[in-house]
Amino acid sequence: MQAKRVRINQDKGKKCMDRRAFLRNNLFRVLCSIGAAVLSYPILAFLTFRKPRDKRVIFHLLKDPQPILYKEGVFLVPIGRSHRALSARCTHLGCTLNYDPVSLKFRCPCHGSQFDISGKRIAGPAKRDLQVLPIDKKGKGELVVTLKL
Amino acid sequence: MLLAEYRNKNLSRCFPRLGLASLLLCLISGAILSFHYRPMGNVFQNVEEITSVVPYGRFFRQLHYASGQLFVILMSLHTLDHFLRRRYRTFGPRQWSLLIISLALCFLALFTGFILKGDKEGLFAARIFMNILRTVPLVGNRLSNFFILPGDSLFFLPYLYHCIFLPPLIFYLLNAHTREWLPDASFLLVTTVGLFLFAIFIDPWMDIPPDAIVGLVKGPWFFLGIQCLLRFLPPFYAGLLVPGMVVLCIFLLPVAGKRLGKCLHYSILGVLILYALLTLKEFLFGP
Repeated sequence: MQAKRVRINQDKGKKCMDRRAFLRNNLFRVLCSIGAAVLSYPILAFLTFRKPRDKRVIFHLLKDPQPILYKEGVFLVPIGRSHRALSARCTHLGCTLNYDPVSLKFRCPCHGSQFDISGKRIAGPAKRDLQVLPIDKKGKGELVVTLKL
Repeated sequence: MLLAEYRNKNLSRCFPRLGLASLLLCLISGAILSFHYRPMGNVFQNVEEITSVVPYGRFFRQLHYASGQLFVILMSLHTLDHFLRRRYRTFGPRQWSLLIISLALCFLALFTGFILKGDKEGLFAARIFMNILRTVPLVGNRLSNFFILPGDSLFFLPYLYHCIFLPPLIFYLLNAHTREWLPDASFLLVTTVGLFLFAIFIDPWMDIPPDAIVGLVKGPWFFLGIQCLLRFLPPFYAGLLVPGMVVLCIFLLPVAGKRLGKCLHYSILGVLILYALLTLKEFLFGP
């Protein structure tokens, strides 16, 4: 009877020691993991931060009516007396579009999306129309288009 | 049955040894090129100057290109050889996973090298990669900023990965698997002579200026299949989910049971053949 009680106490003690040893051995690892998790947020936030930037593209217009113009990622499409600025980035995956003056369409050389001259999607894997960009009129036939990078 | 009986021990022995020799040449030529390469400003002009103005620039560029391509092709063949002979059963799941990750990192190194050309193909590849990463739910934007930043510093992060992060990481992952880092003299000699002849006699492919108008822009050869898929599937599925599932299946090979393993083995083989056909279709016929 007494021997049995001693064994139970020994077992309890062993379990206690196991738990203590486990805690002691793993406390350092757990604290390190928590520390790494806490530190990883500012590290990731630092590494993945991007300052929002605008790019200004300036078009100098002549008095004569002009065809569709392209400059630094922007198409300038004449509509009557005014103009519409369209981003030349395909809305599928960002390749620069080519303008086809025969079919009057913008075509993507990467995956074949097509847009009409108003920027509306016609065919291909792109799902959205082209982005219409804001235009500021300056003096002497200067148009400033703001492009968000 | 032919595949099951595939037992070409000589080729199995050659792939990794030739691969190590080409890796050595790739690292040396890359280190030499880095003295003149600048990832900021007009990168295309910089690459053209290295190729046409700097003495022996064309030779070192071609040597780096050919040795890098050869290394990744030989590593892929080495992995395919192990796969066809079901050698993944002899690897533990951890070691097999590390080797597959190292092969994926080799392809990433090749891809960042493709971007760093700075021509129209490289520029578009960078943008497509960035936009595919952005389609990941919740963390897409952060994830893409981790690899590529739009604007003037587009080439900077791929440069960091290509030159600083990826080579030591690949070495570290391959270290447990590689018996000797220095290849046998005969393999080194054969590889050096072959690559030198290539670098001397073969001109670099024509680089397309970033502002040139071309009807069709192609990605690197190993992503042509994905470029084809991107026409039909949403970017997240074609660019990440489908390739990710295939890689996951490859990871599971050593731990799968006999029946599931057999099923996985033949499924992966089928997908690889399909991918090769898609790549060939995209290469020959385009969109």
